[in-house]
Amino acid sequence: MRDVAIIGAGMIPFGRRYEDSLLDMLAGASLKALDDAGFGSQSVDALYVANVGAGMLQHQTAIASSLADRLSLLPAAAETIENGPASGSSAVKAGLLGIASGYYETVLVVGGEKMRAGDGAHTTDFASTMTHPQAEYPYGVTMPGLAGMFARLYMDKYNLTAEHLHAVSIKNHEMGALNPYAHFRKPINREEIFDGPQAALRNPIVADPLRLYDLCPTSDGAAALVLSSVDIARRLGRPYVVIAGFGQATDTQTLAERADPTELKAVTLAARQAFAQANLRPSDIHVAELHDAFTILEIAESECVGFFPKGAGGEAALKGQTRLGGSIPINVSGGLKARGHPMGATGVAQIVEIVWQLRHELPENRQVPNAQTGLTLNFGGFANNVLCFILKRAEP
Amino acid sequence: MNEPALTAYRCKTCGHIHYPFHDRCLECKGRAFEEIHPQGNARLLTYTAIFNLPYGFDQQSLLLGIAEFENHIKALGQIKAQSVNQLKVGMTVRAVWEPIRTRPEGVVFGLKFEPLET
Repeated sequence: MRDVAIIGAGMIPFGRRYEDSLLDMLAGASLKALDDAGFGSQSVDALYVANVGAGMLQHQTAIASSLADRLSLLPAAAETIENGPASGSSAVKAGLLGIASGYYETVLVVGGEKMRAGDGAHTTDFASTMTHPQAEYPYGVTMPGLAGMFARLYMDKYNLTAEHLHAVSIKNHEMGALNPYAHFRKPINREEIFDGPQAALRNPIVADPLRLYDLCPTSDGAAALVLSSVDIARRLGRPYVVIAGFGQATDTQTLAERADPTELKAVTLAARQAFAQANLRPSDIHVAELHDAFTILEIAESECVGFFPKGAGGEAALKGQTRLGGSIPINVSGGLKARGHPMGATGVAQIVEIVWQLRHELPENRQVPNAQTGLTLNFGGFANNVLCFILKRAEP
Repeated sequence: MNEPALTAYRCKTCGHIHYPFHDRCLECKGRAFEEIHPQGNARLLTYTAIFNLPYGFDQQSLLLGIAEFENHIKALGQIKAQSVNQLKVGMTVRAVWEPIRTRPEGVVFGLKFEPLET
């Protein structure tokens, strides 16, 4: 197996993109990544498209074939990859394996989702179809519902309060406000969502004990990467990023069947594999993008991947250790909470952010100074399929 | 009262209890299972109230929880209560088998947990 480089990264702003079709968004992000890699008039060997809902929400299937045609990548190989909210990372994994094996030299990976096409109840139902078809889905359980049940146990076990959760939300909105690609570009403050006179109205319970500002939004968007062999990356004559470690693990589909539902075993195992492959420790990571679909998850994941001891993630967030300038800046992009969560795009967008961080291309108010290593964690279902990447800056 | 018409599966090799069905045991990979059914009351392990309901539910909110029966079957169900204020982790609930939603093909029955304490 050989090393794999990321030589191109691009995305389109997440949010409400009523005017764009799914293919418009995928093509827009793809062209940005191709141009960034200097592949403006070149093709690639293969295309992997991460998407979850086109079949249900747009009544459109085989979108990788459509995109290959639209981008004139023919006769490149093309597949659509579906792995729930972790689809983006799974598509990157497909590209990683394709190049590491020596089968391909260049791969375009793009993830996208058009989730705001229908009414909220149908979109909620769409996301709920990833729950167990007999033991969960018929009961009306939603992903926020599972997160609410998880949060109740986790908060009780580790003495977390709403204040800890809101520290994550406030931080990620603050960073999202600085990110031109974020869905939410408005900072929020403690008074607005926690202890002010209007807080209960502005921030109602959505999935007890989780409130509105504990949840990521429903977003449209797309993000893309160009992967290549290191030989090709070196020829570009500028810093690039290598995939130093990768890990993936699964867990029971239902929350009820886990011996301890507060253990996110798949997160722990995926991160452990990635660190072992990269020969790095959590303290070696300079910047991380975690899957904060719900604020409680950023706290729990920050502990599972090893940034903080079990039970210490909430206090770390409250004390600012996960902010830009803290010991481990988490979700400087704004995370799923503020950048948004177009399902198929998320895993790719996390890596786009880390690539920008490691190439030192971001404005000062978003850049982790001299970042050399980054980690992404992308979470499918309710932690039943988790992928982790560790990325390193490389000089030409 | 309608008894829960729920089937769980005890591995004949190692005794691990599964719900829902798995083709191979989560613990020992065995393929032979004994069908078992919920016994007695259940203990509420966790719960939530959701206010953004999926398509197919014509109501403002829904109470949901995971409970463990006396014979260690664990399952998700709807909760028959007015609000989360009536619930606490560890409380005893009685399980019944009642309509949980209506779909185009008809009424769907499933588990509902009824708090036995106040």
